[in-house]
Amino acid sequence: MEEKKAKKQEIIETEIQMGTVHPAALEPYRVRFFVEDEIIKDAEITIGVNHRGIERIMEGLPVEKANMLTEKICGICSNSHTWNSVRTAEIGLGVELPERAVYIRVIVGELERLHSHLLYLGHGCETLAHETFSMRVFYIRETIMELLGMIGGNRVQYGCSIIGGVRPRCELDDNRIRRILDGMDLVEKNVAEFADRFVHDSIVLSRITGTGYIPQEQALKLAVTGPTLRATGVKRDLRTDMYEYDNFDYDIITQDTADVKAQLLMRVFEIFESIKIIRQAIRDLPEGKITDRSWEMVDTGLIESYIEVPRGTLYHSYAIEDGRVRHSIVRTPSMTNIGAMQYACIDNHITDGQLCIVQCDPCFTCSDRAIEVYDTKNNKLDKSILQSNIH
Amino acid sequence: MAYEISLISILEVILTLIIALFIGVLIPGIERKYVQARIQQRIGPPVTSPGLWASVKFLFKENIRPNSPAPGLYKAMPILCFIAVLAVFLALMPENYQFMAFASLIAIVGFLKVEEIAYVLMGSLSKSVMSINLRFPDHAKGAERPGLLVSSIEDISSNRSLRMIIFGSFPLYLALFIPAALSKSIYLGDIVAYQQANGPFLFTLAGIIGTVVFFIGYMILLNEYPFSYIKAKSDVIEGPYMELASKYRTFVYLTRGFLIFTLGLMYCVLFLGVAPELFSLKFIVCIIVSLILPVIMAIVSAFSPIFTNRQLYPTILVTSAFGALAMVIALF
Repeated sequence: MEEKKAKKQEIIETEIQMGTVHPAALEPYRVRFFVEDEIIKDAEITIGVNHRGIERIMEGLPVEKANMLTEKICGICSNSHTWNSVRTAEIGLGVELPERAVYIRVIVGELERLHSHLLYLGHGCETLAHETFSMRVFYIRETIMELLGMIGGNRVQYGCSIIGGVRPRCELDDNRIRRILDGMDLVEKNVAEFADRFVHDSIVLSRITGTGYIPQEQALKLAVTGPTLRATGVKRDLRTDMYEYDNFDYDIITQDTADVKAQLLMRVFEIFESIKIIRQAIRDLPEGKITDRSWEMVDTGLIESYIEVPRGTLYHSYAIEDGRVRHSIVRTPSMTNIGAMQYACIDNHITDGQLCIVQCDPCFTCSDRAIEVYDTKNNKLDKSILQSNIH
Repeated sequence: MAYEISLISILEVILTLIIALFIGVLIPGIERKYVQARIQQRIGPPVTSPGLWASVKFLFKENIRPNSPAPGLYKAMPILCFIAVLAVFLALMPENYQFMAFASLIAIVGFLKVEEIAYVLMGSLSKSVMSINLRFPDHAKGAERPGLLVSSIEDISSNRSLRMIIFGSFPLYLALFIPAALSKSIYLGDIVAYQQANGPFLFTLAGIIGTVVFFIGYMILLNEYPFSYIKAKSDVIEGPYMELASKYRTFVYLTRGFLIFTLGLMYCVLFLGVAPELFSLKFIVCIIVSLILPVIMAIVSAFSPIFTNRQLYPTILVTSAFGALAMVIALF
């Protein structure tokens, strides 16, 4: 299929800017829509408004503290960041985890996927201006939030991983297991009902079918990851490469139509797969300790770890020197998906612009990693000039 | 022709107006608390909050200077809208049926057009901070398109308002003229008298189709979901109203509630033959109908996403076709 892209010499009628504050966007970012008769011909997303410099703060911190800090990168996949940061250290230090700890991590990770996907559905419905659907999804999500609060002690910052296992707070006793299973039954029933209602709503379908199309070749070219990629028909899920998921039986969901409808349905089907994994994990939950404290801190070279998080592939990397973090790099899934967000907007109506961005499940605040500074003459300022201006 | 204006009739109109304004400011609360919140299984706001207390609250808020080439004109628009709706309301009062030119469908359409044109003007006169350019070059994507004309999101809203004037309000105006075709008169007095003699138009085929067309036109005129094209949260946010603050926003709230109530009265007069006569059962009927219409509207909007051109054009086209069909049935 021909690549949809406005030619540079084409006369673009006007530019519409949305953001950095806009009610359809949950986070601060600016998008420039280049439009002709309200049809978007090109889009340009600018992030960097909420840069917090977490990687810089991590430099020199003790590894355990740095791991805790990664939880603050994202409010949605807080556990995933801690998990991957801890996993990075564990790879470098050669820590072997107790089997029970691995299962608990998987359970919490999949619960996080459930709440992230439900948030996505709720936000998607809200961007469609369908308040009722949005509210219903948030009700369903509430069950998951309560379960996460029960396990981790918090509804948002519930990260359970520590080097060598999981926090004692996250141990699953019989009562907790029963509550999780009941919660899964409820969520499965409610999501099935919602999905049935959703796919039979002809008005909603007319809004989402064919909107925000991202062809498979373009998605691969833009290095899109996660459910956003799988909705274009590519069967790629990093969980298949993660040793934590070796013992679980689940399907990798894909969709063919690569539009907003595919993206939304993708999440719905993944919710059922996550419920399946959680049930298996609880059924086969091994007995034994949840933390192995027999590891020793040693200096390592650069360690890298990739995991599949609800929004795509998450990358953490650092080296350990004297028990402290060196050269930390975090790459969130949204960083790789921004290109797809811009591409998806093209040839759509302005009203659908935000929907096309939202369909790729953006998390821009987590992606704010670095800034480039230019002077008023459009010259890039190098580090020495910047340092000379620091007083 | 001699006009009869008595002090009592003036007092009746003023009292009706006060009741209409009071019910009008309660309607947004009824929609949100008793309809949408119930559908969405949540408690919802206090019934007096969205309309009544929001209007009072904004009276005491600090005003802002809109980023507009003519701020005075921009701020005058809500007042103009209110006056236009007031004129429609007065035209519907049975005391004014003697003023034939005023209490006619042509005059009502004219007043409603003023209200619609005000949106176009408001949108074109406002350039809020919501779409202001950042003052540094954008290198995120290589800044491929520098130096373009930057439109504000109110500009889009203004363009859309213009389109709605051209074709969006077709269903409502077609529906308004169905009673005229049935009664062979454009004067409200004649339309009411005809129905009192021959029964309400609602119970005719043209009247039933006209009611459906009227309702869709009613939602379009009120910019309610799914037709809230000119103030869509997903792109143009509040649209023309964006920079209206303080007492001017109070006028926006008052006008909206008042317009909802007035359109309900209009339906009573045109399709039920019930003129809003104070101190009679007819007025109770008018109030009930004026409340039923927004309740149905709130139910429809709770279950609909916002329409884009792809859904809006066919909906308006089909509704207008039904309106034309009803008109043909009414004429023959």
